[in-house]
Amino acid sequence: MLSSLLLKEWLKLRIFFAALLLLNFAVCVKIFFDIRQQMHSEHAEMVWYQVIHIHTIPYTAIMYMPLATGLIFAAAQFVPEMLGRRMRISLHLPTGRNRMLVACLFTGLLLYLAVCCMDSGLVFLMLRTYFPMEVAWSSIPTIAPWIIAGLLSYCGTVTVLLEIAWPRRIFLLLVFSTLCLVLFSGTGYGWFTPALWYLVGLFPLALLSVFESGRRFQQQGAK
Amino acid sequence: MNVIEVHNLCHKYNGRTIYEDLSFTVPEGSICGLLGKNGQGKTTLVNILMGFLKPTGGKCLVLGEDSHELPPAVRNRIGLLHEGHLAYEFMTIGQTERFFRGCYPDWKPAIFYDLVNKMGLSSQHKVGNMSCGQRSQVVLGVIMAQNPDLLILDDYSMGLDAGYRRLFLDVLHDFAGQGGKTIFVTSHIVQDLEKLVDTMIFIDQGKILQTGLSDFMSSFHKFSFRNGDVVNFGNDTVLSGWEQRGDHITVYSFASQTEVADHLGSLGVKFKDLQQKTMSLEDGFIGLMGKY
Repeated sequence: MLSSLLLKEWLKLRIFFAALLLLNFAVCVKIFFDIRQQMHSEHAEMVWYQVIHIHTIPYTAIMYMPLATGLIFAAAQFVPEMLGRRMRISLHLPTGRNRMLVACLFTGLLLYLAVCCMDSGLVFLMLRTYFPMEVAWSSIPTIAPWIIAGLLSYCGTVTVLLEIAWPRRIFLLLVFSTLCLVLFSGTGYGWFTPALWYLVGLFPLALLSVFESGRRFQQQGAK
Repeated sequence: MNVIEVHNLCHKYNGRTIYEDLSFTVPEGSICGLLGKNGQGKTTLVNILMGFLKPTGGKCLVLGEDSHELPPAVRNRIGLLHEGHLAYEFMTIGQTERFFRGCYPDWKPAIFYDLVNKMGLSSQHKVGNMSCGQRSQVVLGVIMAQNPDLLILDDYSMGLDAGYRRLFLDVLHDFAGQGGKTIFVTSHIVQDLEKLVDTMIFIDQGKILQTGLSDFMSSFHKFSFRNGDVVNFGNDTVLSGWEQRGDHITVYSFASQTEVADHLGSLGVKFKDLQQKTMSLEDGFIGLMGKY
């Protein structure tokens, strides 16, 4: 059963996964060329001053990529399920509703994290090429809130798509949008680091909202 | 043993009462057809039976379990065809088989491919690029290969031409012939059900009439006569339904020809050439439920 569910999700996601992997890679390459050009066209002291002293992050081009990636993965997985309420096919399978949803979320989140790992890794390697190791390491806590925003956009989109009542949909949309906005509200390296682990600890709550919307869809979604 | 039991079912949607105190049973091994005009709640009933809707009152048991909390082991025994032949359109035929094979322990790939190969399509053919009839064949293959004990078909004939409908009937007939298999079916093509079902449930304005096919066909009658006037029987207690085309009038009734003749006389309706006609199930359906 599990392998069948994973197969279904992979079939839906594979084209989007390949496209987003390519797009994210292209953005990382652009960042690399931008840094390289800056290094060649400006004095090293000036670049150092901008990047280290005034916290001009050289990889902001990637800031919203995890958000968009999470949103697209969620839509790619669940829009086909909502069209004609096809989710009822999966809900009739001889397995528990939550187990089925876990398989869906696992696939989506795994591929999402694969894209994010590639982004983080490439940014790290680029920074390591031109800057001291400390700058390269600082990219991890700087990118982390953007990745968490992507996780929230993924869970939020799935929850909103599964939800059957418009007032609840709008409410959930507002809640998840606000949470995502908070994660983009700061600037500078690792500005969110003090709260990061609390946020990671609270992330499972976002998953619970998916299961609740899934329950509501199964029990009332055929209207 | 009853495979489906509905007790005092009530359901409302947007303030409108769909059912009130609906009760019926479907015994094991029977082929039961649910008939009703559009908007009478046939699909709603299927959705309630499959746990996709929570009724406002009453209880539904499917294979002995509350329909609202069907455990996976029970769902494993139910083949469900959704209205519109719902299928995953992003999958190919081969991927569809692979997907469902992993879901059902009793999956019979030979049954699936036997039905699907009749279309002469490659296993790489995408379900989303198929016609309605071809897609219905894939869905039929899926539910048959599950080897279920109970088949629930929600308007299987929707969008199908005569060939595909006949194919469905052939397959369902063979399935029922295995013994111990139960079919609960709704369809808009009433004449198809005449060749399939042994029990019928007529649903109209939240009320039902459950009857055996042969009982209904032998106790409900179609009569015709000629009359130059325009007639209107309203809500008559003897005549369940009536139709008029020119001076040719058809009436439907559970009463005998003599009783109908006496009744027409008592109503002051002039009639010529009153005679009983051969009645199809579709005639009976119109006579009992009306056209609108």
